Amino acid sequence: MGLFRNIRSMFHDDWCSKCKSQMDVANKQLYALPTMRVGHYQEHDDPAYYKKNLVPVDKKAQIPTGMYACGIHVYRCPQCGHHAVKLTVFLPVRDQEKVEQLLYFEDGEMDDFIH
Amino acid sequence: MNNGPVRKFNMAYLLAYIFVPLIISVLGTCAAFIFFPTGGTGAALLVMVPWIVSIAWWIGGGRFLYKRAKKRAEAELKGQGLNANQIFYSRGWSIFTDVGSGQVGLVSFWNPFKTFLIPASRIEKLWVDDGVGGVAIFKGSNRVSFMLQVDGTNVRIDTFISNQRFAPNSDHILTGISKADTWVEILQAAKSNSV
Repeated sequence: MGLFRNIRSMFHDDWCSKCKSQMDVANKQLYALPTMRVGHYQEHDDPAYYKKNLVPVDKKAQIPTGMYACGIHVYRCPQCGHHAVKLTVFLPVRDQEKVEQLLYFEDGEMDDFIH
Repeated sequence: MNNGPVRKFNMAYLLAYIFVPLIISVLGTCAAFIFFPTGGTGAALLVMVPWIVSIAWWIGGGRFLYKRAKKRAEAELKGQGLNANQIFYSRGWSIFTDVGSGQVGLVSFWNPFKTFLIPASRIEKLWVDDGVGGVAIFKGSNRVSFMLQVDGTNVRIDTFISNQRFAPNSDHILTGISKADTWVEILQAAKSNSV
């Protein structure tokens, strides 16, 4: 059962990496990424880059055409209290999204930014 | 620099591009038959060299001239005091836009000796063509462009082109649409600033 659950947890980004329970979404926020424009996207893994450049917005319509966006989901495990932050970097195109990068921060790298 | 009507084709250039190498190659072949009726190295050279040069010209000559035209246009526009802060190079056209002054520069692949400089107010129509056609699993596109109508001429600037067909929600098509949408907004802004 434990092994089966471990395997299943590999396919769920909202499952706790410590106790394999489903985590709750504690917070989510949409940001614009003004430094990235269509045709000039470059991958970044450094959380400092996002902390420096993300600009919070209320809705997708506020993001100018051709500018990248970033969705942040803060997960919290109801069982063990572990928390993780997922960053989804995407290009909004009309009513669709072109996802470029998914990043997980589980060691509190983004804590000072989201709180 | 040309402020007249925007023309996609320079017919003399287009015809010369196709037929001059062809005529030279045919003349070379005829000369080989006339001057070297028994064959030999001279005949081989007279036949092969013009054809090889012609094929090389058809493959790369246009691109070479277009590349030079783009560089020349950039320098010319700068010389005219245009701050072309938005530039897009595509296969058939290159566009240079100064949003602040509402001026647009255009260079066509098939008319590389002219740089058109027009006020954006002369753009009659602006739209995005995502090229999506077909139904169900066959729905897709291999070309996304933004189009502008100037002086009755449709200028198609491709933001994505492929010999394969992609689903409308594929990364390639979405990127192409995003670029095209962005350019339509840039040109609309230039148009609103144009006198």
